[in-house]
Amino acid sequence: MGRTRSHARRKKRRTVPVPTASMGDIAFLLIIFFLVCSEASQDASDIQVTLPASERVEKVKAPAAARIAIDKEGTIYFNGGRVDSAKEVETGVQIRLAGTVTEDQRHVQFRCDAGVTKEIFEPVLKAIAEGGGILEAVGTKKESTP
Amino acid sequence: MARRGEKKRREGGIPTDSFSDIAFLLIIYFLVATTLVRLQAITTEMPSGDKSAQAQSEKTPIVNLRGGEVFFNDAPVTFPALEERLAALDLPARVPEKRVVMLESATGTPYDTYFQALAAISGNGGVVALVDEEK
Repeated sequence: MGRTRSHARRKKRRTVPVPTASMGDIAFLLIIFFLVCSEASQDASDIQVTLPASERVEKVKAPAAARIAIDKEGTIYFNGGRVDSAKEVETGVQIRLAGTVTEDQRHVQFRCDAGVTKEIFEPVLKAIAEGGGILEAVGTKKESTP
Repeated sequence: MARRGEKKRREGGIPTDSFSDIAFLLIIYFLVATTLVRLQAITTEMPSGDKSAQAQSEKTPIVNLRGGEVFFNDAPVTFPALEERLAALDLPARVPEKRVVMLESATGTPYDTYFQALAAISGNGGVVALVDEEK
């Protein structure tokens, strides 16, 4: 009699299991989400460029409408593809900037090897200006001397 | 009860209990390994040929790069001195048409030197006008 009363007073403890069967599905969906949302880099990593240094460089804020690079051999690349002359750069920039409204949409990224001479890079800079682009000359941060 | 001679059939199964652990580890790996590249650059506006010619006048300051040296209005300077001279012009306070600084370079000028001149001009609020070298 006393035993049944003490049994009745004890609350029946129930364990609540957490359903983990679908955690694998959730994880793979997250992976697919990150893969789809991440943007593939448009910068051609095989272009060897030694960038010049300056204290005035700042982090780029606006996305580039076009990317132009000149490697140490003087080869000009427009959005990763090789071009033969600065005239092609100007045409490409004009096409890319057609229909742009704000200044932030007209930024043209320019990467050039530090040792390239004026005869090669200056026509490209003029082509960017003639195409209506705002020049973003990529460089590295030079530590200021005390 | 299995009969004699009958092979006991075993059912093989792929254990899927740890799939979620593998997936989350992959996510963490990709998040950690992703390189967030932030390029550093100088931003400068360069007027096109016609606008550049209109903006130039006798009083337009000019930076020359020749023979490994830097000249500002035909006076030899160093890059720190060039920065001081350009800062003294107070270009940001001027109207856009008066902020033009001409940049002329000799044949063979390396991009490294040219870049520093571009940075000095644009960093002090100037608009760069490229000038062809006088022959």
